[in-house]
Amino acid sequence: MQIAEIKSGAVTVAAFEGRLDTATAAAAESKLLALLEEGGVVADLEGVRYVSSAGLRVLLKAAKQAKTAGKPFSVCGLQAPVREVFEISGFDKIIPAYATRAEALAA
Amino acid sequence: MAMSTQLALRLRPEAEAVPELLDRLEAFAEEAELSPGVAHRLALVAEELVANVAMHGVGASFVEVALRQAEGALLLDIVDDGPEFDPLAEAAPDTEAGIEEREIGGLGIHFVRKMVRSLDYRRQDGCNRLAAVLDAG
Repeated sequence: MQIAEIKSGAVTVAAFEGRLDTATAAAAESKLLALLEEGGVVADLEGVRYVSSAGLRVLLKAAKQAKTAGKPFSVCGLQAPVREVFEISGFDKIIPAYATRAEALAA
Repeated sequence: MAMSTQLALRLRPEAEAVPELLDRLEAFAEEAELSPGVAHRLALVAEELVANVAMHGVGASFVEVALRQAEGALLLDIVDDGPEFDPLAEAAPDTEAGIEEREIGGLGIHFVRKMVRSLDYRRQDGCNRLAAVLDAG
């Protein structure tokens, strides 16, 4: 799992690459929560081919912290199998998801 | 498609074993020419069940994963020697809940339930035995 940071005004895009799973969840969580200390975050998952419940837990935790802090948090670029996981978990109703990074940044 | 595509894996019951599990499942999916959706569901079910053993199976010394294809289905068997634990007895999460009410966790077994055609648990010879059947197409 690699996470690249791209600043875009007050928002940071965290571009994930690899698998978001039991093994990588802890590193992803500390990165996302640290970025949320600084401002809003868009988690770009275009490079993520696999998300398990451990990965979703990280995104939910980030979404909760963002809501508490009044900062925007969204995801974008979900591959079809990852989108299916979002829908089955009901996360599509609680975390804003955009097709592209540009749409997420424009929202 | 190779008719003999199958996988047998013995892992230590810990989170650190998950990368090896997922690497091997990706190789299996490629060899068996599974669609990305089927490959993802297979990896998810296997990871959740193995992670469950790592989480609840204090005292387990191993977890074995066996996988084979049969007539449009994937047969996944997971065996561990930990204390008796039936993941099917776990309550389902409320997927309609809003962000404030939504619990962090409880999702793994929900995915498993949604993604398998069938799942059976039995306790036999001091081991937990889970047999999952997934659609291969």
